[in-house]
Amino acid sequence: MKFRRVMASVLAGMMTLSLVACGSDGSASAGTETEQTADAKTNTESVGTSGEKLVIWTLAKDLQTFAEKYVEDHEVQIETVVIEPADYVTKVQTALNGGQTTPDIIVGEPQMLEDFYDAGYFEDLNQAPYNAQDYADQIVDYVWEVGQDAEGIQRAISYQITPAGIYYRRDIAQEVFGTDDPAEVGKLFADYPTILSTAQKLKENGYRIFASDAEMGYFSGDTAWVVNDKLNLDQARLDYMDLVCDLYQNDLTAYANQWSTPWYQAMAGEVPILTAEVQSYADDSVNVWDAEAFAEATKDLATTQVFAFGLPSWGVLTLRDNVGETSGKWGVCSGPAYGFGGGTFIGISAMSEHKDLAWDFLKWVTLDENTAEWWIEKSEGDTVSLVSVLEKHKDDENAVYGGQHLYSFWQEQAAGIDYSKVTRYDKIVNDAWGAACTAVKTGEADKETAINEFYDVVESTYPEIQIER
Amino acid sequence: MAVAKKRMKNRNNAAYLFVLPFIIVFLIFSVYPVFRTLFLSFTTYKGYGEPEFTGLANYIRVVKDKFFWRSLYNTVKMWSLNIVLQLGLAFLLTIVFSDIKYKIRGLAIFRAVYYLPNLIAATSVAFLFKTLLDWKYGTVNQILLASGLVSEQINWLGQKSTAWAVVSVIQAWMWFGNSFIILMAGVQGIPNDYFEAAAIDGAGRWKVFGSITLPLLRPILLYVAVTSLIGGLQLFDLPFLINGVAGASTAGEPGGTLQTVVMYLYKFGFETRQVGFASAIAYTLFFIILFISVMEFKFLGGKED
Repeated sequence: MKFRRVMASVLAGMMTLSLVACGSDGSASAGTETEQTADAKTNTESVGTSGEKLVIWTLAKDLQTFAEKYVEDHEVQIETVVIEPADYVTKVQTALNGGQTTPDIIVGEPQMLEDFYDAGYFEDLNQAPYNAQDYADQIVDYVWEVGQDAEGIQRAISYQITPAGIYYRRDIAQEVFGTDDPAEVGKLFADYPTILSTAQKLKENGYRIFASDAEMGYFSGDTAWVVNDKLNLDQARLDYMDLVCDLYQNDLTAYANQWSTPWYQAMAGEVPILTAEVQSYADDSVNVWDAEAFAEATKDLATTQVFAFGLPSWGVLTLRDNVGETSGKWGVCSGPAYGFGGGTFIGISAMSEHKDLAWDFLKWVTLDENTAEWWIEKSEGDTVSLVSVLEKHKDDENAVYGGQHLYSFWQEQAAGIDYSKVTRYDKIVNDAWGAACTAVKTGEADKETAINEFYDVVESTYPEIQIER
Repeated sequence: MAVAKKRMKNRNNAAYLFVLPFIIVFLIFSVYPVFRTLFLSFTTYKGYGEPEFTGLANYIRVVKDKFFWRSLYNTVKMWSLNIVLQLGLAFLLTIVFSDIKYKIRGLAIFRAVYYLPNLIAATSVAFLFKTLLDWKYGTVNQILLASGLVSEQINWLGQKSTAWAVVSVIQAWMWFGNSFIILMAGVQGIPNDYFEAAAIDGAGRWKVFGSITLPLLRPILLYVAVTSLIGGLQLFDLPFLINGVAGASTAGEPGGTLQTVVMYLYKFGFETRQVGFASAIAYTLFFIILFISVMEFKFLGGKED
């Protein structure tokens, strides 16, 4: 009897606790000097011991590093919560729709921003006391534009630019094409037919042009996916589909998937030539996500070296960590079109009760020259968005890239970016187009069927988009 | 005053206080979402801002959407094979274990063993079967090759023709123990007199099963069929995690053949933020389940004797 009574009390207590826990607003960990909690989805870090408290919800761990630096010179506490991209939008929506006053700072990637602007989650930065428009000429144009809503009101600012380029091996370029000059190598990627002939020549010499067939993804499309509420399947998209199929069907790549072990391995030199089945996961006997298992499974395969990778400017950091002994043998040149990928845009939550502090932090991260200088050093080469700092570093030589002036190159690429090509539909439409390309390249469907299926998916997902078949 | 007190005592009003916490939680977490979802299904709510009323537009869109029907077809197809295997196996075991001539011992142990697959998390089940059914080196293919039943490996999860059946079989494997326990409980609830009388009359095993066991099990069968239908048409975790040979996704690889209605709903509710349309899908599924359940009651329920 006594046992039952104790059990009943424990169960009742647990239920009460669960209800209380549901009502917690996430600010319970305030006041600790440095506190880290981590689970599969989020990572929270609190820094600073006294003063006002700022809560940041972010997708990028970069902001944790910025926060740690900020509290060194400011009498504040900052709690930074890093949330998985797949959960980020839902968490922000739930919090702000519920009228929660934290977070104070929220962020977004370009494809998320339009919905966030429409929802009114971001504070209007053009109004006093922010007057963000006064800083317009200090930030690279396209980044400034991404941070504006449909009415041109500044809502968010990014500390980085992310124009795309082609990272190539200078030693291979010299051997096969007789030049390693970025301007000349850029001509080998001028358009899709040229890329195919470049790929053929590299294969004849024992190399592969790319590790994966998705390297030109950042450069595909000359126009927006949706123009005047109509789906716009331009010729460049169709050419891109042809390119992907040719690369895949003619064994012109190493059949690695982006972000997999062989893809990273290819940056350091020799990499096993996989099969189309391994790449499409139809054959999952090779675990491409585990370096040790991958090495064991591919030890008997023929190897090659990969010539190039198509990545935004943050690829500098990716290559920095993976080039190994090929360091110094790399160069960066332009692709068949201008493009960009990603970027963390920071804004102030419209619900925040610490807007002044949030603005001070936002300004410090994005508009402060000293911060930008510190970040370049701290990140070992990230490309900041502050024009004055980019100008100052335009003659910096990057040792990994044979002394190339990368900041100057990225500035040129950023100037060519047309942000009007980005729409809120891009994620789903790109995924559907990727699926169509995969279906054609693997022979699962003919081109016409795959394109019709693509139209069907877009029509079903976004009925408001008109489709002319 | 005294009368009022007496009345209160008589009606045991204090009991309401004990159920009040449950009622509050039930209203907030069960009743409110049901009506809120119904309301949202008539709007273009995107997860923020004010919902804009659009009447039946979302429902019309659901009816016209070929991918919704494809996902429903996939779901029904997977559920149908599953229920046949699940109930068939459960029935077979029920016949064997309830037969007074066999007198099998250790029913409790068998019951526990058969129920075990139901206790394993779907994530573990998905991982287990992805490993077993690996195209090149999976145990199943190795056994089939070694025994000469096939001449080359079968890409179980990578081809449309087999992926959906694999999910059905896994579902049946996970749930047959549950059905078996319920059917056995039903059989044990049938008075022994019937079986003894049948034995005295010289009825054979199949005659007893067809004329006594089956008719008297009908209410239990109805329960199993309806609960299986509800669970089956709400299938999400297993096909989401298996997703052909790729990683977890709502795409339902290969070629959308594993995309169920709830996965399709999830795509709109959480990936494209069309909460109104997702709510309409949820209610459409609800009405479909309701319709099939009524049919099951009609054909399986019969009249109360």
